[in-house]
Amino acid sequence: MKRPFSYKLNIFIFLLPALALFVGVLIAPIIVSTYYSFHNWNGLTTPEFIGFKNYVELFTSKSINITRALKNAMLLAVFSCFIQLPFALWLALRLARGVKGGRFFLSVFFMPVLISTVVIGQLWLKIYNPDYGVLNLLLRSLGLEKWTRVWLGSKDTALGAAFVPILWQYVGYHMLLMFAGIKGVPPELSEAAMLDGCTPGQVSRYIVIPYIRPILRVSVIFAVTGSLKSFDLIYVLTNGGPNHATEVPSTLMINMLFLRNRYGMGSTIAVMLIVLCFVFALLINMAFKEEKGR
Amino acid sequence: MKKALALILAAMMVLSVTAAFAEDVTLTLWSIATESDSSHQAFVDAIAKFEADHPGVKIEHVATENEAYKTLIKSAMSSGENLPDIFFTWGMGFLGEFVNAKRVYCVDAEYEAYKNELPEPMTVNVRYDGKMFGVPYTMSLVTLYANLDILKEVGYDDIPATYEDMMACCDKLVAAGKIPFGVSGKELWCLSEYVEPLTIKSIGGQKLKDIYNGVASWNDPGVVKAIEAFQNMKAKGYFDPSADALGNDEVKNNFIAGKYAFYQNGSWNNKDIGEQAKFAVKAGTFPVLDPDNASLYAMIGGPNNTLAVTESSPNKELAVQAAFELAKFFSDADYKSGANLPCWAADPEAKVNDLIQAAADMAAKAEDMVLFGDNFLSADAANTYLDYIGLAWAGEITPAEYAEGLANDLGN
Amino acid sequence: MSKKAYRAPDAPRKITWQSATAYAILVIWALISLFPVYWMLTFSLKTNPEIFGENVMGLPKYWVWANYDRALNTGNMPRYFLNSLIVAVSTIMITLVASVMATYAMTRLEWKNRKRMNKFFMLGLTVPIHASIVPLYTTLSKVHLLNTLWALIIPYSAFSLAMGILIATGFMGDIPYDLDEAAFLDGCGVWGIFFRVIAPLMTPAVATVGIYTFLQCWNELMFANVFVTAPQWRTLPVGVQALSGQYTTEWGPIGAALSIATIPTLIVYIFLSRRIQDSFIAGAVKG
Repeated sequence: MKRPFSYKLNIFIFLLPALALFVGVLIAPIIVSTYYSFHNWNGLTTPEFIGFKNYVELFTSKSINITRALKNAMLLAVFSCFIQLPFALWLALRLARGVKGGRFFLSVFFMPVLISTVVIGQLWLKIYNPDYGVLNLLLRSLGLEKWTRVWLGSKDTALGAAFVPILWQYVGYHMLLMFAGIKGVPPELSEAAMLDGCTPGQVSRYIVIPYIRPILRVSVIFAVTGSLKSFDLIYVLTNGGPNHATEVPSTLMINMLFLRNRYGMGSTIAVMLIVLCFVFALLINMAFKEEKGR
Repeated sequence: MKKALALILAAMMVLSVTAAFAEDVTLTLWSIATESDSSHQAFVDAIAKFEADHPGVKIEHVATENEAYKTLIKSAMSSGENLPDIFFTWGMGFLGEFVNAKRVYCVDAEYEAYKNELPEPMTVNVRYDGKMFGVPYTMSLVTLYANLDILKEVGYDDIPATYEDMMACCDKLVAAGKIPFGVSGKELWCLSEYVEPLTIKSIGGQKLKDIYNGVASWNDPGVVKAIEAFQNMKAKGYFDPSADALGNDEVKNNFIAGKYAFYQNGSWNNKDIGEQAKFAVKAGTFPVLDPDNASLYAMIGGPNNTLAVTESSPNKELAVQAAFELAKFFSDADYKSGANLPCWAADPEAKVNDLIQAAADMAAKAEDMVLFGDNFLSADAANTYLDYIGLAWAGEITPAEYAEGLANDLGN
Repeated sequence: MSKKAYRAPDAPRKITWQSATAYAILVIWALISLFPVYWMLTFSLKTNPEIFGENVMGLPKYWVWANYDRALNTGNMPRYFLNSLIVAVSTIMITLVASVMATYAMTRLEWKNRKRMNKFFMLGLTVPIHASIVPLYTTLSKVHLLNTLWALIIPYSAFSLAMGILIATGFMGDIPYDLDEAAFLDGCGVWGIFFRVIAPLMTPAVATVGIYTFLQCWNELMFANVFVTAPQWRTLPVGVQALSGQYTTEWGPIGAALSIATIPTLIVYIFLSRRIQDSFIAGAVKG
């Protein structure tokens, strides 16, 4: 093909809407945040340049304790990848294989995603409530009195208790993505395999899953970056407590930006999050590519 | 001749002022009085009244939910763009940062006209270097609400007057299977509603103010004593064992449902508790911890809800006038509806409910009044302070570590 | 053509203990997924004491329909609903057009650095929205877009873009390159190929990108609260939030407002989910 100038111009025109939005709304604030991350600034008075002091404080301060927040977020990412996604995949495969009422299930499984975080948060607060919550009532009625806990208020259980709703809510989200991918698998492929005597499980393992690899990659990226950035439900359920046991980077960031008026430090956490998410997204991409190469 | 000139000038000024008013002016007011807030109706009525009194002036009221409002006003103040003319704010620390950034208009000049109706002591929390930057309208006091029906069951017909008696009463409550105090361990400010009365009743109001202002050190035996008492109360099971999982909304509903003997929180709860509680309820104050330093009427609280005018407003004079008139109206309306205590001289004839009357009596008897610590301190310090309260509550630090830690981290 | 994606045409469906267990799991999961909807509808008809402890999960003792009156008469709910709808639809359209165009340029057109450009767009997945509030506020104010629906549509589109591109890339990769070449030989230029070959085959992506974009903006609260303060341009989540007061919150009306906001979404979704499946199958046939 010839590549006249107009070809390059066309490329540019095709990219223009996305680029304009992207640079204007996302990249510019990143640059601004990076700038403020090198300053001591309360968001109001003149920023004072302090070099890398915010970064040093972020990673050394015991009261901010970013390591704990990162550990919590990574733990969520691990649960997400190894419990939530496999389950979502299983659901998607099962539904794609065709079951009675498949469409009903498909619609219903996605519903938690559509419901506002406020409702989900309040619902789980009621489930975990130590006095009248369903969970403790259930344990009591089963005679497991000693298993009852102040789920969201005790250091040992709060993190796990906060993770369950987050993982639960988005199963449907990933399932739908994967279901869409599986439906895109050419029927001839699996039909041929079935005629060769493959079990449905083998078809899933050797035909479908490799075929929907790009979708799985997207799901994994969503799961990991989503976990690193998770905020809404943690905020409603524990707000980082008890005593910061369930703090994640985003709750720390909000705390710095809008509660403590430490805009510089808030920006530092934002920059760290962006870099971290980006590195993970690239790593996941590479991991998926490498396997393909083999 | 000079007189004539002065007259003409005065006439011209009047004319120009009326001319300015005759043109349509719109003032924007930002508040947290959302449609469901108890003071929403007061805002609607006050604005209608002001608009009727000042033809040609329109007030556009934008109400945003409490937490979201903080983000909104901080973002707007930070960029300095698109600011309203009048905005709701809390006194001391919250308003102070905006004042430091020179975003707020000084209302000293206009205050002269309202001096008789808004007593000067009520303006302490909006003064910075002596200058007044806001118009307070209601004040709140930390109030100890008691469920007298439950107290009766253990042989008390009033709130115990001494600390020893209070502890004895709590022991009896616990023995009878009742929970003495309801508190939210999840919302740290709710813990401070217990820690601060203990602190002020251990060291006295002046000392507490000095500590907040950085004049005295946190590392004080009285502070240690207060935290010891606080941790002691927790260790003896005086607080709801579920506290850590509950938000304030839930705790308050629990109290109204009769689950606790006491609930200590701001006087803004008067209306809900007064209207919804189906038991005999009394509003009082926590007994004295150290009679050498403090008296029963050393109170936590003070004038807090405030209206302020932005420096960027194109109609500052008019906005200030509106701020004063609205504040006066709110003060009266909130008092009469039983929602909160007035900063402005109240109508002595007004009929109010028992709880607000009790709160008003306490305010009148108050010998010292120190604003809530998280409002008094600047944002960063306030959150560090709340963190320490959380640690003390969880028993992760000793009272001595609490006092030393705060002295170190807050620099005094 | 069989509508089942993969099953040997004549494979008999046997009921084994395995499939029975699997089916049981599906049913249980469906109940768990439906529960929040049930719970939202019931608490929208309760009073505070019932919601807080007396009757948390059961049907309301007294059906407080007045909660719906309160919800509908607070502020201007119909208006908020319309605003939210305009924002959602515009955001979806902008995201779709921008992401499909960009994906086309990055996957079908050949130029240096196109892979890098793709990675650059991936940055969009990484930005936490809270960090951009203050810079965006200043920018939007400077271009006089604060207090218009654009102040929400533009940021929402930008934040949905990365996801749109990711999804569109997956779908576009499935379209055989032979089609481009055939169209090229027929005399189509870059634009011709885009409009005649690629765009029509991207319809399955429309539903998927649409749904995910919708999710991003329908319940969004942070930007909605800060960038739009004018009451006439407020969106639904902000309207719902107006139902909670500074010191007192009645949860019944909030439940009612949330139900009003959610039910249409659920209905539209159920309707759309059929379309998604159908469009996928259509795509598969052509592939």
